[in-house]
Amino acid sequence: MVATVVAIRLATMRHLLRRDWWRAVVLALGVLWALAMLPSLLIARSALAGQDADLRADAMVALVAILTLGWVTVPLVISGLDDSLDAARFRSLGVSARAIMPGLLVAGLLTLPALFVAAALAMLGSAWAGEGGAVLAVALVGLGLVLASMVLGARVSAAWAARLLSSRRAKLATAAAMTAGLAAIAPLAWVLFSEGLTEVVVEDIALVLERLADTPLGAGAAAPGAAAAGDWLGAAWRLALQAGWMLALLAVWQQNVARSLVAPVGRGGGARRHHDRVLDPVRSVGAPRDPAAAAVHARLARAWTSDPRYLASLAGVLLLPVTFFALVMPVFDLDRRWAYLVPLMLAATIGWGRHNDVAFDSSALWLDIVSGRLGGAVMRGRLAAVAGWALPLVIVACLGTLAWTGRWHDAPGLVGAAIGVLGVSLGVAAVSAVLLPYRAPAPGASPFGAEVGAVGAGLAAQLVSSIAAMSLVPFVVLPFVLALTVATAWGWVACLAGVVAGVGAYAGGLRLAGALYDRRSGRLLAAIA
Amino acid sequence: MTPSQGPRSTPPSVRRYADQVTTVPALALRGLTKRFGATLAVDGIDLDIPAGSFYGVVGPNGAGKTTTLSMATGLLEPDAGTVAVLGTDLWAAPEAAKPLLGVLPDGLHTFDRLTGAELISYAGRLRGLDRDTVRARRDDLLAALDLEQAGQVLVMDYSAGMTKKVGLACALVHAPRVLVLDEPFEAVDPVSAGAIRRILAAFVDSGGTVVMSSHVMALVERLCDHVAVVGAGRVLAAGTLGDVRGGGDLEERFVELVGDVRDQRDLTWLRQS
Repeated sequence: MVATVVAIRLATMRHLLRRDWWRAVVLALGVLWALAMLPSLLIARSALAGQDADLRADAMVALVAILTLGWVTVPLVISGLDDSLDAARFRSLGVSARAIMPGLLVAGLLTLPALFVAAALAMLGSAWAGEGGAVLAVALVGLGLVLASMVLGARVSAAWAARLLSSRRAKLATAAAMTAGLAAIAPLAWVLFSEGLTEVVVEDIALVLERLADTPLGAGAAAPGAAAAGDWLGAAWRLALQAGWMLALLAVWQQNVARSLVAPVGRGGGARRHHDRVLDPVRSVGAPRDPAAAAVHARLARAWTSDPRYLASLAGVLLLPVTFFALVMPVFDLDRRWAYLVPLMLAATIGWGRHNDVAFDSSALWLDIVSGRLGGAVMRGRLAAVAGWALPLVIVACLGTLAWTGRWHDAPGLVGAAIGVLGVSLGVAAVSAVLLPYRAPAPGASPFGAEVGAVGAGLAAQLVSSIAAMSLVPFVVLPFVLALTVATAWGWVACLAGVVAGVGAYAGGLRLAGALYDRRSGRLLAAIA
Repeated sequence: MTPSQGPRSTPPSVRRYADQVTTVPALALRGLTKRFGATLAVDGIDLDIPAGSFYGVVGPNGAGKTTTLSMATGLLEPDAGTVAVLGTDLWAAPEAAKPLLGVLPDGLHTFDRLTGAELISYAGRLRGLDRDTVRARRDDLLAALDLEQAGQVLVMDYSAGMTKKVGLACALVHAPRVLVLDEPFEAVDPVSAGAIRRILAAFVDSGGTVVMSSHVMALVERLCDHVAVVGAGRVLAAGTLGDVRGGGDLEERFVELVGDVRDQRDLTWLRQS
């Protein structure tokens, strides 16, 4: 069964590569990048080998902890990275979860990131060779367990998050996850702000690493350190802890696979809605009046409050600004004015996040296309539905930051720049969504999964839209920077420039996207479904 | 076009397509071609669908029916060829041609986070109808298709047949002149199928045109007055039902045209005794 599942995985991969040559290019670039990292890894290995065992163990624990966190969180934040075999595809075959699990696990390890991390860990682990064969064996076994825990952890976190978001309490769950994320970062940020980085590094980090070495985040990497010190019992229980953690993750994942083999695709639970919100929408500021655009706006407004895929992107927008504020600022001991980046980052993240917006309709898009030449109305409704929550959120973030800095005279410039960045990034995203759409998770599918093989096209579109937005944003932000560094009077220029550029880019992007939508309407459906 | 009135419930009288045929066909496909990689899915199809006809499009799996209908409704850009809806070029002037068409595709998602009622309203508003017209027609359609109870339920909770019916309602809400329906009866229960048959027959009776693809020959023979047999991306036969089946029955003629399964192997291992 392992061979069968792995063969399916490799065969789909091979067919995709044969069908679309550019996927092979993306894969080749990935391999080249991995190979280019080899020299650095070799240097790191010899550096590690030259250290004494304590330091080497600490370094490995830190590395492994960061990698594990990355494996678990990145697929949740950047959607479309997880192109693993979807267990639900085995639904009609009548196989048990137990039968396909080993195959799924092996297939999960046969991805470029997993193979690269495996190679890197094996190489760094071999730095223990100097301590004797037994210690080396402990190191390699420990890191192997760590790798398996990472891959399994990624599966479990994606599966759980998807399950939570498709539940009937999705909105509550999203809010809870955002709060929990903030709560997790807050104490760390507080310590960093109050003590400063140096204090934290000298005193707290060593303590943290010591603690991590006794948890599943670092036990596997810390085991050889204990073994080298002659503490074989310590090595043994750390390996056992890591193995137990891995088995626990495996069990949880198996339970999720078993569930997806029998559970129907996301359903609404038979909820009834008595009001026709398309015909009689809730009045909201900025909702378009044109019938077609108003209908699209009402549809997207529903999606933003109930579709797991949209809720996942909603929850993701806070991550970058919050990380910057809570971690980067205190670590680098930045001036308070740097906090102004928070609302700007928030605006850019929201806008950029919509660069594949149209594809989220999946093949349901047919209704918009057959109903006329509606590109303008469709894009107006879509963008208005985003701007409806994004603009207030960005303004609140501006006010919050101003309250933190206490420099209220920066307000006009900051608000102008934030509106500018939001407008520009939304405008660029609207064009990208029509010009470079790629397959998004279908309605009812996991919001964190990519259609098998869509990762390459996604990366290309993500790259192009980020470059386009990045090259426009500085023009909007420059007057505000002058206001902060040269003379306050620039603030009003920044305000005017930001609002004009933001509204202009929003309207211009919308117009262009609408025209492109009409011109490409006969190709859109094939591109995204 | 009669605004805000439900489809007529009078039983279909004698089909009057013969004296309604105008010189302008409801749909005129010329040299339609579509290639997917190495596969030539549609190979230069020419087809005239007379106005006022109930036209059946039949063909084996993978014959190119859905691809052809997608190109004829604006969903898929042809590699070559033209589509004219009542004389208006669909791909050159979609704003004029698309309002004439009502479309029900097969196997595509719907906006399933809307309720059935909302989805019909959505289709109506996209077509630019005013609120009162949409409201009245939405209620008519929900009643006529026996979806009144389901109107307040999200489409994601619908069965396949209910999804088909609400899709048909979306195709009808703007009172189009030509209906293009891909497998409209698939997964629909007999009672609802009867209701759909009555609606479509009355529509044709009043001068509308229906183009319908189906795998069920009996259904095509019962409903359609014209039929086209499509195979390997080409039209193998087209014309009035009588002309195409030539005295025999449509299924026999169909098998004759597209060819039977070549290797009719006996699955001895499947025998129970």
